[in-house]
Amino acid sequence: MTSMTIDVHHITRVEGHGNIVVNVVNGKLEQCDLAIVETPRFFEAMLKGRPYQEASHITSRICGICATGHATASLRAAENALGVVPTKQTKLLRKLALFGEILDSHILHVYMLVAPDFLGVGSVIPLAKQEPEIVMRALRMKKLSGDLCAIITGRHTHPIAMTVGGFTHYPTKEELFDIRKRFEAARVDLKETVDLFESLELPAFTRETEYIALRKPDEYAFIDGEIASSDGGAWPLEDYLTVTNEYLVPHSSAKHAKNQRDSYMVGALARINVNFDRLHPHAKSVAEQLGLKPVVTNPYAISVAQVVEIVHAVEESIHILDELIGNCLKWEEPVKPERLSGEGVGAAEVPRGTLFHHYTIEDGLIQKANCVIPTGQNLANIEADMRALVPTILDKSEKEITQSLEMLVRAYDPCISCSAHLLNVEFVR
Amino acid sequence: MDDQAPATTLILALGNPLRADDGAGAAVIKALQGCRLPPDVELLDGGTPGLETVLYFEGRSRVIVVDAADMGLEPGEWRRFTLGDIRLKSNDMALRGTLHYAGLAEAVALAGAMDALPAELVIYGIQPQSLDWQTGLSDVVRTAVGAVARQIVQELGR
Repeated sequence: MTSMTIDVHHITRVEGHGNIVVNVVNGKLEQCDLAIVETPRFFEAMLKGRPYQEASHITSRICGICATGHATASLRAAENALGVVPTKQTKLLRKLALFGEILDSHILHVYMLVAPDFLGVGSVIPLAKQEPEIVMRALRMKKLSGDLCAIITGRHTHPIAMTVGGFTHYPTKEELFDIRKRFEAARVDLKETVDLFESLELPAFTRETEYIALRKPDEYAFIDGEIASSDGGAWPLEDYLTVTNEYLVPHSSAKHAKNQRDSYMVGALARINVNFDRLHPHAKSVAEQLGLKPVVTNPYAISVAQVVEIVHAVEESIHILDELIGNCLKWEEPVKPERLSGEGVGAAEVPRGTLFHHYTIEDGLIQKANCVIPTGQNLANIEADMRALVPTILDKSEKEITQSLEMLVRAYDPCISCSAHLLNVEFVR
Repeated sequence: MDDQAPATTLILALGNPLRADDGAGAAVIKALQGCRLPPDVELLDGGTPGLETVLYFEGRSRVIVVDAADMGLEPGEWRRFTLGDIRLKSNDMALRGTLHYAGLAEAVALAGAMDALPAELVIYGIQPQSLDWQTGLSDVVRTAVGAVARQIVQELGR
């Protein structure tokens, strides 16, 4: 009977610090953990006592990749708390900025972090040697998405122009025309991207789980909506705690989450499983071309789902740019709050899944803040996948098992540095 | 713009002016903006573009990078060097591990792997005095900025 211990100290090509620990004794899986060793970040404590206007700027620093996503969820939480209803133009601009970020993050992930595994090279440097055009294409697409964020939010990362109630800066007509032209031209790169991922073969592994994403009646939801589950059920945003049910595990500095099963998945694949019918028609046909037909239960397909979302985001961005140009984007003062005290939840679908911000504001100052981050919600599901996967590949070499596990964790695109919080302990005397 | 061939020489400033002397490159670009330069020269304050620096190399025969650099010299001292003269040290495990913090060293490694380095890549490094969270250059680095700008004008005129 096989016995082995796998200890991947510090998984590479993910954001932040995590370890994989697997212990097999006499062919039986004894331990299978994804240990999160990242330092807690204290962001929720930092928000306490700060003016509500600062929250989006502070929380955008939680992540250098999902900065716009955090800012968006933060603004929506503050706006819901203070009775602010943003205008249609603001909603379009926010969506556009979020698409820029989704594109940036997905392109980084599928090309730089995931593709090397499938193309049998150890990292992006040998990939660049072997397939320079692939890496050049990735850099080109990344720059385009960053430039989109920059014209809408004032800079590539950490949006400066997004504020409660609207924007403090608007792109010029020329900037909108120019970026639209570049997006149109990017369709060539898009096709190459889809063709590349069509040619890659995913490891054959499936495990049913619960898939959770925001859902809206008339669009593939990215901002607001209700929380929907592939197992059935929908919850208003205010009830997010009854969905996330966070709990602590000893081996992780990030909390775990569960809803109707022992774990659930958020992110690109969960979104496609929940919202397939609302994808842009081009994205939907690409999904079919890539063999994604809900419900997809292979977690390695998350990267493929990201490719589908790249297509969706490019097509929707062009559509929004047309609308903004057609409506002659105009200067709007940010909508003023109705009150300075209140409680509100904001949610956005960010690259790695559903993100919640929840604030209690009194006299304009934040009294209480809670952020539930996608990677935290995915951790229990990743471990459940690992536990299901390992027994099916025990006949493989330790090296191959390690590779399969690392690829599995990487597929979730975990942003470990974002998900580590600190437990707030109060002693009862 | 898209249809025009890019200028063949790019002067590329890297660095973050919000970190004191890391703004040295941007200051050199500013100084050069007031100088008469050959028509095929483009000036660009690239900020901190990370791996996307590779895209700036595309189609250029010569790139002159100006950046604050820790060369173990006295603050305000500067050097002109090419890739053959030095070994760029990667700041962390970028490209193998996380892709946070990719800088010039990683971009040069990536461009090298893709055979996308310009025929001539020159680096002007200025030893910073302070990389604090503040704007504005220290006096010694401000003096170096003028000297580097003059040296670049001379190099371009050759």
